[in-house]
Amino acid sequence: MISIEHISQSLHEALSASLNSTLVLLIEMVIAGVLVIALFAVLGLVLVFMERKVSAYIQIRLGPNRVGYQGFAQTAADTLKLLIKEGLTPDGADKFLFNLAPLVVMVVAMLIMAPIAFTKGFQLWDINIGVLYVSAVSSISVIGILMAGWASNNKYSMLGAMRSGAQIVSYELSAGLSVITIVILVGSLSINDIIASQQNGWWIFKGHIPVMISFIIFVIAVTAETNRAPFDLAEAESELTAGFHTEYSGMRFAFFFLAEYVNIFVVCAIGATLFFGGWMPFHIGSWEAFNHVMDFIPGIVWFFGKIFSLIFLIMWFRWTFPRLRIDQLLNLEWKYLLPIAMFNLLLTTLMAITGFYFK
Amino acid sequence: MFIVDYIKTVYSTCKSLLSGMRLTGYYFFHHKEIITQQYPDVRLVMAERFRGEVVMTHDEKNEHRCTGCTACELACPNATIKIVTKQELQPDGKKKKALDTFVYHLELCTMCNLCIMACPTDAIKMAQTYEHSVFDRNQLTKKLNAPGSKLMEGVE
Amino acid sequence: MEVSNIIFYLLGALILACGVLAVTSRQIFRSAIYLLFCMMSVAGLYFWMQYEFIAAVQIVVYVGGIVVLIIFSIFLTHRVGKDLAEPEFKRTLFAGLASLFAFLLFWWVIKRNEFFGEQPSGELSVRRIGEEMLNYKQGGFVLPFEVVSILLLAAMVGCIVIAMRAQTEKN
Repeated sequence: MISIEHISQSLHEALSASLNSTLVLLIEMVIAGVLVIALFAVLGLVLVFMERKVSAYIQIRLGPNRVGYQGFAQTAADTLKLLIKEGLTPDGADKFLFNLAPLVVMVVAMLIMAPIAFTKGFQLWDINIGVLYVSAVSSISVIGILMAGWASNNKYSMLGAMRSGAQIVSYELSAGLSVITIVILVGSLSINDIIASQQNGWWIFKGHIPVMISFIIFVIAVTAETNRAPFDLAEAESELTAGFHTEYSGMRFAFFFLAEYVNIFVVCAIGATLFFGGWMPFHIGSWEAFNHVMDFIPGIVWFFGKIFSLIFLIMWFRWTFPRLRIDQLLNLEWKYLLPIAMFNLLLTTLMAITGFYFK
Repeated sequence: MFIVDYIKTVYSTCKSLLSGMRLTGYYFFHHKEIITQQYPDVRLVMAERFRGEVVMTHDEKNEHRCTGCTACELACPNATIKIVTKQELQPDGKKKKALDTFVYHLELCTMCNLCIMACPTDAIKMAQTYEHSVFDRNQLTKKLNAPGSKLMEGVE
Repeated sequence: MEVSNIIFYLLGALILACGVLAVTSRQIFRSAIYLLFCMMSVAGLYFWMQYEFIAAVQIVVYVGGIVVLIIFSIFLTHRVGKDLAEPEFKRTLFAGLASLFAFLLFWWVIKRNEFFGEQPSGELSVRRIGEEMLNYKQGGFVLPFEVVSILLLAAMVGCIVIAMRAQTEKN
């Protein structure tokens, strides 16, 4: 079977044979960049379509079904529309920051992609603090939102940006604490180590109750961090028209839109890596035959399957629950999620010390 | 106890959220619940009592039942109907009032059905059409009697 | 010149340029953004030195925490599109003198001490940092760690005292 690892390996060898090392690095960086951008474009198209279809079926509608077979080309048509649309800049806006904000959001979304392991040996950057890197870099994206809110010179944008800032800063805490649960059990921050530790079973099964609690907290916190309903106070179309991107149009708006979906993808990828074993197939302890059958499905299929299940879960939240008020939002974080996450952390530490989990 | 209340709140919240998700999840997987009609492909036949617009019935010999009595015009609350009559020569040499043009302003009509109830000869009725959009307002002013149509025999 | 050196000088230039812009900009929000880029370039420098953990902590603390707080306070106290007034000459002079003095002090310290060209001990793993933090033997960091914790606790208590509404007496 041809694996992606072999392809990248042979590409590297072919390049190294004829060129010097700096040039090889440069070419490989360009290839990686092109791959990431291509992944972004495909993700944007697929996820927007998926969101519209999921929302439609949940609300007992049909959703887009005119452009292309079953509406598959709808998002491509929308993108084309956004590309040729005029990008307006409001009077009195801080033009430099106004144009910079979508780029910051986009670049941050690209940076988070770096340490994610898509399948065995297919990773842009095998950094030894992968999980910490992701949570650190994702905290920059709030700056882009604040920048957009300030530079638009619009009260709605400003309010949206402030709400979003308060929300992201506070929910980062419980997301971080739930990630630390797994880090304690594995004993490493590296994405590859975390995946390797789930060879004989995913953490959600091996770590039973504490890990399940931390998974629930993780899902709630990342939904809030990506500014999605029921935590979409930053956009809140019924109160703030569109929040921080009220004044944006055309391609700059598309950048915000795309960054939102890429962020969802990335946090779901992190969730899949931490709790569901990344690209690791579903293995049960010592059932050799069963494990062998599962190994036949390639890792990338497992990985994307897990990611899309989690994305579906988050979309399911969005189209089921009503939006929270700002005080309810902060109550949920500071009075419920954070204490429970801290208590859970204590429980996990005890479990890790006593070895009271499936190995 | 505070801690018991706290746990109870968490439990009941989770339960109510899950019951909401169960319903939407059911809808997601059961597409037969969808009642949306794909309009240009599927055109609904409206119920008999639906009032789309006023039409005049003609039979196969292109004859209508309207005597031009203007009862409908008088009954109409917002001047939707305008009846133009003419004097027609009868075979016995007498002149008689007959319908020339039945002008109907669809853009003014509120589908109140009063004209149909006022009509002594059942000449007009409500149709079940609903695709009334046009590019120009003038197109909504309609002539209801077909060109060359005559009064049906025996209708007084 | 190697690629590594080019990257170092690029990062250094970025840090200096953003620092100067943060001080001289007359729009306070832009100053905050330049400060942010300055902090991120410092994090880039840590990445360049392959101290990934320190770099990530730099981003979490300075970019995700402090700059966001600064921006929040700007949001609550300033208006969009309003430039700050030109500073008084006296203030500029003293600020310049203070930074010159700090620069000379650093220069003096750097000149007096010799630096090793190579890093003393290979990779700095997270595990080692954690162990050193809780090491109470010779050269351990448990005492500074605890002192800093107490400082933070005091700061938090102070915040709560300031933010707490005074209990109104019921009559």
